[in-house]
Amino acid sequence: MTESKLENVSSLIDGYQVDDKVLEEMANDSQLSDTWERYHVVSSVLRNEAPDTLDFDLSEQIFSAIADEPTILAPQTKPTFIRTMSAKVVQFAKPIGQMAIAASAAGLMVMGVQQTNVADNEILPAQVIQTNPLGGFAEPVSYNYQPNTQKAQQQAYMEQQRRFQALLLDHQQQVKFSASQKSASEKVLNAVEDKDSSQ
Amino acid sequence: MRLLLSSLLLSFCCSAVAAQNEPASHWLERLSSALRTLNFTTSFVVVKNNQAEPYHWVHGVNDAGLELEIFSLLNGPRRDILRQGEIVSYISPEQPPYSIKSQHLSSPIPSLLRHNLDILLPNYNFISVGRSRVLGRPAQLIRIESKDEHRYGHWLWLDQTTGLLLKLALVSKQGELLEQVQFTHLDITTTLSDSLKKLETTELPAQIDLPQGIDEKEISWKVSWLPRGFKQIKASKHRVPIIKNSVGFMLFNDGLVDVSVYVNSTQTKQRKVEHVNDGATLVLNQVKNGVEISVVGQIPFETAQAIANSVVLTASPSS
Repeated sequence: MTESKLENVSSLIDGYQVDDKVLEEMANDSQLSDTWERYHVVSSVLRNEAPDTLDFDLSEQIFSAIADEPTILAPQTKPTFIRTMSAKVVQFAKPIGQMAIAASAAGLMVMGVQQTNVADNEILPAQVIQTNPLGGFAEPVSYNYQPNTQKAQQQAYMEQQRRFQALLLDHQQQVKFSASQKSASEKVLNAVEDKDSSQ
Repeated sequence: MRLLLSSLLLSFCCSAVAAQNEPASHWLERLSSALRTLNFTTSFVVVKNNQAEPYHWVHGVNDAGLELEIFSLLNGPRRDILRQGEIVSYISPEQPPYSIKSQHLSSPIPSLLRHNLDILLPNYNFISVGRSRVLGRPAQLIRIESKDEHRYGHWLWLDQTTGLLLKLALVSKQGELLEQVQFTHLDITTTLSDSLKKLETTELPAQIDLPQGIDEKEISWKVSWLPRGFKQIKASKHRVPIIKNSVGFMLFNDGLVDVSVYVNSTQTKQRKVEHVNDGATLVLNQVKNGVEISVVGQIPFETAQAIANSVVLTASPSS
């Protein structure tokens, strides 16, 4: 395989015009068409378009799938009376169906209005939470209902986080103060020296 | 010829080993003297909890030999630490600015590094590990490793030419990186920087009187186990927000690491151990038989748990 042929393949991928002769050569030369395939895989990987699993032998698979397909010699025919029957059913069913759709659309609209009303009402208890986090309020009756235990858990979690925060801040503060009282390391050093001198 | 070559190679190896074997304690001495005597302007980033906190750090010595130092947090509300000699001022949004007289300053850089690190020798090994490139400079990695498994290791990358700190990491015994300080800029100057000249003439906030520690007799509990080398620095009773009753408090220190222990009575009967990590700092809290015990410090969970479990009541804590 020469360099120029490979160059032709790559310029074809880049969308440049190539001689028909080259195309024919590529189609006949299995090595060249493999290259064509590989180049495409490379460019799609570079563009992040590669599928999750790279299947390099797609053409082979399609060939074998086609080969395995049973050959149908004549188109299947269906008895005509069934066709007319079904057509009549469709004609009969159609107007009712349309009405049903219209009715359900109206139903949706009504439900939609109700939903927004519910949403408006829900804002009030939410505001109560913000101003008075620990106070209780009526549980909204809806499928979003949260059992009491879950709320208690949430509150316990918040309390735990606040406790951790308070302890961490106090520790940092105490470390700042302690350094001045008696230099921490000096005290340890003295202790070490005492030990050394006693030995 | 071959002999000559191999001997040459050998001598090369030896010299390389010798350079690496310059004792770690020598490097740490260079670091502490550099931190005390050099005029430098630097920036660093503390990386913990998937977040980065940028700081600016300026240090210098004026003509009178007074050390001047500024730490400022660059993101969020102002948090500054100013130092003129032994007067340290903390400026933060939580409380009015105040000054205390102290040899130590509480910043992301352990203040012990400015002092004599020999006090750590009973409990830590100093290991010189090797060279690498940090902040565009050749750096020497020195590890301060605990002799037992109850503490974290401190890894320091020091500038080969000046001995200054270029990077600092807290690493668990398992080699997990917990928190690190990466310097992003370093300028060493012969004269004081402008901000320090300003600090030189600034009047620092008023010094406050610190609440004195309380008599040991008033403490109705004790910690019966701590990793070797931890000494009690302070004991007190005070209030901590959120916790309703006043807490008994003790602070311990092994020279490098501070550990706080809090004990108080509570309405809750039992609460199983809960903990959270802020970088390398662990906060542990539990309630056992109506006694709440909390431990805070840069120590592994197992150590904090062992400390909490070793708290013994000598009398019921007053609420």
